Formats: sequence, structure tokens, C-alpha cells
Amino acid sequence: MELRHSFTVPLDIEATWAHFGDIAALAACFPGAVVTDVEGDTFRGTVKVKLGPIALQYAGSGTFVDKDDDAHRFVVEAKGKDKRGNGTAGATVTLAMTAAGESTDVQVDTDLAITGKPAQFGRGVMQDVSDKLLGQFVSCLEQRLGASEPAAPEGSAEPEEPASPDSSAPDGPPPAPPPAPAAARTAPPPSSPAPRPAPAAAGADDSLDLGATVLPVLLRTYGPRLAAVLGLVALLVVVRRMLR
Amino acid sequence: MIPAQFDYLAPTTVDEALAALAEHGDEAKILAGGQSLLPVLRMRLNAPEVVIDLGRIPELRGVRDDGDHLVIGAMTRHADVLRDPMVAEHATLLQRAVTHLADEQIRHRGTFGGALAHADPAGDVGAPALALGCEMVIAGRDGTRTVAADDFFVDLFETAVGEDEILTAVRVPKHTGWGAHYEKFVRVAHQWPIVAVAAAVRVEGGTIADARVGLTNMGSTPLRARAVEDALRGQPATEDAVREAASRAAEGTNPPSDLNGDSDYRSHLATVLTRRAVLAAAGG
Repeated sequence: MELRHSFTVPLDIEATWAHFGDIAALAACFPGAVVTDVEGDTFRGTVKVKLGPIALQYAGSGTFVDKDDDAHRFVVEAKGKDKRGNGTAGATVTLAMTAAGESTDVQVDTDLAITGKPAQFGRGVMQDVSDKLLGQFVSCLEQRLGASEPAAPEGSAEPEEPASPDSSAPDGPPPAPPPAPAAARTAPPPSSPAPRPAPAAAGADDSLDLGATVLPVLLRTYGPRLAAVLGLVALLVVVRRMLR
Repeated sequence: MIPAQFDYLAPTTVDEALAALAEHGDEAKILAGGQSLLPVLRMRLNAPEVVIDLGRIPELRGVRDDGDHLVIGAMTRHADVLRDPMVAEHATLLQRAVTHLADEQIRHRGTFGGALAHADPAGDVGAPALALGCEMVIAGRDGTRTVAADDFFVDLFETAVGEDEILTAVRVPKHTGWGAHYEKFVRVAHQWPIVAVAAAVRVEGGTIADARVGLTNMGSTPLRARAVEDALRGQPATEDAVREAASRAAEGTNPPSDLNGDSDYRSHLATVLTRRAVLAAAGG
């Protein structure tokens, strides 16, 4: 299963690349996961995910199998296992950056392999959820990078504009225009009952609540997270089909 | 499989249930009909410490007449919605949609409010509730609030019901005399729809005076096909006119792609099913 996401960061490519290497600075933006151990190019961690009635914890590890500073591209291979043994997921995540004037386009390709019960379920809310996840990550990233860069737009500005996450299945049609009615997918819900936590908020053991607000968690490395979270989340998400 | 161990609470009033929810917070799950929660527990996809069963709260059950609205208690079973003569007369669309919801056994356990609060984008009650402009009555520790269906569905499995709140009832504006139809497309009987369309129309002298169209599984939430509704108003209730209006059914949607069909396929399905649903509603 392949997923593709792209987004734009309002910084030039070197600064963006540096940021993606600057683990601690980005860490707080990626929700739900805790990196417990980093050793060279390998990391271990857990992801707690809530989606509707589901609440699961996955333990996983990942490795940078390729990192090219000149091409601004890295590849991470990640594996996750449900703590209760319901299945495993493997993901290969390729992140590539290209300069786009003052800003940088980032493309993330995720190739997922899923085993166990979740694999029985075809319907991919996976794309929905990974879109949402990445959207939140990018909004947070955009705010933080914007705040640290005087020339960039104000950090509190509407994050949808410069950093609209946009995605489509690789074999699918071009991205659909943003839904006009019930734009629950791209816009933060205005009527969301729970207060959205500040992007900088950090907690050691917050769960990734896909059904509501996502609580950012302080993490140690950025790239791993992208792999681990996208991969592990996907696992859970496919599970949805078993709900009836 | 056997669920992980949990404590079971069966309050007999909404206040007791809210108190239990406040006490246990994130560790508690609300049990309505259990048709989604129990499989999740059995597969150990969740392991709450406390399950709060709303099944013994009489005030949450039943359908009553409230002037220009019907009030359906959140714990009213689908089967009771299906059989209720007031629903059949004043909210035919709900009746039609519930007719096709899952199977007989699930309809006898699953509840109307439970399905709405679960908010599966492929669920059969969301789109008709949205199309009819229902209002959701949500109780919390500070009292009761009412949320329009338009604001109720927030995202995938996410509604306006807060962590410490309970959906207690649904207020359905009466649509007396409207024709209604729920057109559901499945490959396996009783399954989730790949796409479904809920349509209610008011026809006066061969002209569509008003129309409500809701879409199931065309995005992260149930959606309202307002472009179709606008295009239908004032048109003759003929196949050509309806076909023309229905061609706009996928506007503004963002349907998922999966093994049952890709996004384009669903967009096409939506137009076809909308035409069928509207024609059936207008003719029926």
C-alpha cells in the first residue's frame, strides 16, 4: 500500500533540511509518538493511537537506510508491532525536498506492508487519517518555522494557506479541490469542543488522538517519527473495517 | 477473543452516567448498543477500565412527538425507529435508511444515538440525519446543549460530543408529506455502503418544491449535497431534470479510495445513486 503526501515549508531548502535534521526543534510537532532510544541511525519508540472506539499502543523501531544531504532526501525503514500482538506493520518512508523559490516542497512517500487482523480490512481511512496527521504536523511545523524566521509569515497566521497538505494515491486522480461543505478534512473544526493544545505543548505519554485533537509529544528525532507514525498509524486505521 | 477485564457500570439516570463519566474520564467508554464497541473490546483494540452502559436509562429510549419535531431518544434501537409510525409519517427518510442498516440482529441491538455518536463515515444514519437537519441534544455536567447536524459531525469518528458529554436525543424536524428514499450500494448484503445517498423531496404539482440530499461514505463525515439540492428546486420531477441535478452530487466531496473502489468510482456512484434516490423519493 502506497501513500503520498506533499506539503510546503516557508523556508529555503537548506534551512528546511537543517530543521529536519534538528531533531529537538521539530520534535514537539509530531504527535503521539515517544522515541525511547536512539542509537546511530536506528531508533525505537512507541505510538499510542486513538481513533473512535479504538485505542492501541504500538512499539516500533526504525532505521535510516539512506540519507543524502546533497540531494535532500532520506529513506527510513520502520517496523511496528501491536503490543497486544494483533499484527505488525512495516513501512518504508522516503522523504525528498525540492527548492521552490523561498520555500521548500517536501514530498513523503510511504510504502506500507501490514499483517495480522488489520490486514483483512480494505477500506482505507488510512489516507484520511494520514492526511489529517500530516496536516497537523505541517501546521505546527509551519507555525514554528514561521516564528523562527522573521521574513516568514506570522506564526499565528492561518496555516492552511502556505502549508496546505495535499495528497492523493499515487495511481489515483490528481488531488481533489478542497471540499467546500463540511470541510472537516482540511480545516480545523471550528466547533471542536476540546481546546486545541498549543503546538509547543509536550507530554511524555500523551496518546495520539486521531479522533480529536492531537497532543504533541516531545520527541527526539524527526525523520524517524514520520516513518514510525505514518506506518504505525496506518496499521490501526485499517482496522476500522472490523467495527461492525 | 475475550475482552480485557473492565468494570461495568449501569447507571439508571443520565446524571448518574455523567457523574461516572466525569469520575473515570479517559479510562471509561460509553456502551450504547455495543455493535461497534463490543467487537473492538473483543479484538482487544481497546481496553477501557470502565464501561458505562446506558442501556438501563429509560429516559433515553423511545420516540415522542414534540410539535414540529420528533424527538428520538439516543438509546432507541434501530428496530424501534424502523417500526415507529411517527417516524414513518414525519421522517420517512430515517425509516428508509434504517431499513437498510446492517442486519436484523444488529438493528435489534444497535441504537440510533449510538450509531450517530460513533460517526462512522460509512454509517447509514448520519447522512439522513444531516439531510433532514436534525438537532443533537447533548448532555454534560453543566446542562444540555443542542447542536445542529451540520456542526455535529466533525471528522472521522469524531463528533461535537465532548469527552465528558453524552448524546441523549435527536430532534428531527417533521418532514410530513415528503417523499424519501435511501439508495445504498453494497457488494455484500448487510455491509457498509460503498456509497449511499439519502434523498427527501417535496413535490408539488409535478415540480420539486424542496429537496434534501445526504451522502454516505463520500468523505470523512456524512455530507450534504447542497449543489444537487439547489439544482433540484423548482425543477420538474422528471428523469432528465433529476439526472442533470444529480450530476453535481460529487461536488465538494473528497471520497476515499480503497479496495471497494477508488475515489473517481465513488464520485461516479454518487451521481448515479443520487439520481435513483431522488427519482424514487419523488415518485414514491
